[in-house]
Amino acid sequence: MLKLNAFLISSSLLFFIIADKTSAQCCSSGNPFISDAEHPALQSQVLTSSLTYRYGHSSQYFSGDSRFSDLPFKETSYSNYADFQVGYGITNWLTVQAGIGYFFNKTLTTSGLEPYKGFGLGDAELYLKFNAYTNPEKRFSISPSLGVKFPIGVFDQEADHVQLPITVQPSSGSYKYTGNVFILKGIGRKMAFAAFLAYEYSQLIESDNFYYKYGDQWIGAVYFNFQAWKRLGADIQFRNEYRAKSTREHNEIVDATGYNVIFFTPQLTWAFKHNWYLSAYSDIPIYKYYNGIQMSFGYSFSVRLTKKIDFIALKAYQKSKNYDVLLRQ
Amino acid sequence: MKNFHLLWILTAFLLWSCAEKDNTQPSEEIKINSLTASENPVKAWDTAVITVEATGDNLQYRWEANHGNFRGGGKQIRYAAGECCVGLNTITCTVSNSSGKVSDTIMIRVTSYFDPKNK
Repeated sequence: MLKLNAFLISSSLLFFIIADKTSAQCCSSGNPFISDAEHPALQSQVLTSSLTYRYGHSSQYFSGDSRFSDLPFKETSYSNYADFQVGYGITNWLTVQAGIGYFFNKTLTTSGLEPYKGFGLGDAELYLKFNAYTNPEKRFSISPSLGVKFPIGVFDQEADHVQLPITVQPSSGSYKYTGNVFILKGIGRKMAFAAFLAYEYSQLIESDNFYYKYGDQWIGAVYFNFQAWKRLGADIQFRNEYRAKSTREHNEIVDATGYNVIFFTPQLTWAFKHNWYLSAYSDIPIYKYYNGIQMSFGYSFSVRLTKKIDFIALKAYQKSKNYDVLLRQ
Repeated sequence: MKNFHLLWILTAFLLWSCAEKDNTQPSEEIKINSLTASENPVKAWDTAVITVEATGDNLQYRWEANHGNFRGGGKQIRYAAGECCVGLNTITCTVSNSSGKVSDTIMIRVTSYFDPKNK
C-alpha cells in the first residue's frame, strides 16, 4: 500500500510540474463536466479507475431562454472526448482522485466554410475527497471534496500559422479551484437518493496580450438510484449548471457569457464479474438561459468503464484460499 | 518501484524542458510597413479583411487574436468575432524568416449584434 500511495503522490506531482504557463486566449470551457452519478469517498485501500468516452453536439444559438435563429449562417459544434480517472482510498476518511481528458477532436463547422478542428490534451484534475460522515446502518454519508484543475493542454493551437478559435482549443487555459459536497441516503434495500453541490472558481488568465477570467460556476444536482436487478442499476439526475459572466481587459464584464442550464441525465450501469462496471448516460438540456447570444449546450452521450479493486477484500480472499489449501493438505 | 517513481518525475521534467520555446530573435531585415483592416469597427459576426505589408525575403506570417476567429492565412486574413468578443480586440501579426521576427498589432472594435447603430 505504501508503494501505491507513493505512486499516486508522484503522479500528482507530475500534474503540478507539467502545468506550465499557458499563452491563453478566451471563452473555451475546457473539459466537459463528467456527469455520471457522483460517488462518495472510497473506503480505505479501494482503488477505482475509469475510462469515459463522451460525444457532445451543439447547433443552436440562444438568447435569453429562446432559440436565436436570426444569424445569417448555420454553425455546428461537436467533439469526441475521453477522460481517464483514478481514485484511491488512502484511509477510511481520505480519497485521492486524479483525472485527465483528451479531445480526439473539437470541431466547429460553419455552413459554406472550412471547419475549425482542434485536438489534444484537455485539463488535468486532482481531488481530495473526505468521508466527513458515514453511517452504514442508515446508509447515509456526506463526502465533501476539494479539487484543482490544471490547464496542461494547449490553448493556442494553430493551423497553418493561424491561431484556431478558442471554442476548439482543447484546454481552458485557466487554473480552476473547486469545492463540492456529495450526500447519499439509501432508501430501503434497492433505492438511494443523492445530492451534489459544487462551486468552481477560475483563476485569471493574464499574459502579454490576454486578460480573461471565466465566471464562477455553481452546479447543483439531485439523483435517484434504483437497483433494478442484482447487476443493473438505473439513475435519474436533474442538474442545474449556472455560470456567471466572464471578465476581460480593464475588468470589463463580457455580457454575452454566462448561462443557466438544467439537464436531465438518465443513466444505466451494469455490474460485471470481478468488479467491472459499464455505464451509459446522456445529458439532455431541458431548460436553457443564455446571456446575450451564445451557442447553447446541445446533447451529449457518454459511456464509462470502471474497474474497482478492494485490496483488503483481496488479501482476505487470498488468505482464505491459502487456508483452504493448508486444510486439504 | 522506486525507479518507476523517478521515471515519472524525470518524464515530467523532460516534458517541461522540451516544451516548444520561441527562440526567434527580433530581425532588422524585416520591416512591417502597414497593418490595416477593411472595416473598423466591425459588427459581431461580420468580417473584416486584415492586410499586412512587409518587406523581407521568404517571409512567413503568423496571426493571433485575444478574441475572435480567423479565416485564411498569409498576408491577408479574414477576421470575425461573435457576440462574446464585443469590445476592443488586439490582433497580432508576426512576420518572420530565417533572420528573425517582427510583430505588429492592430486594434479592432467589435460592436454588438444588437447595437442600434448597426441597423
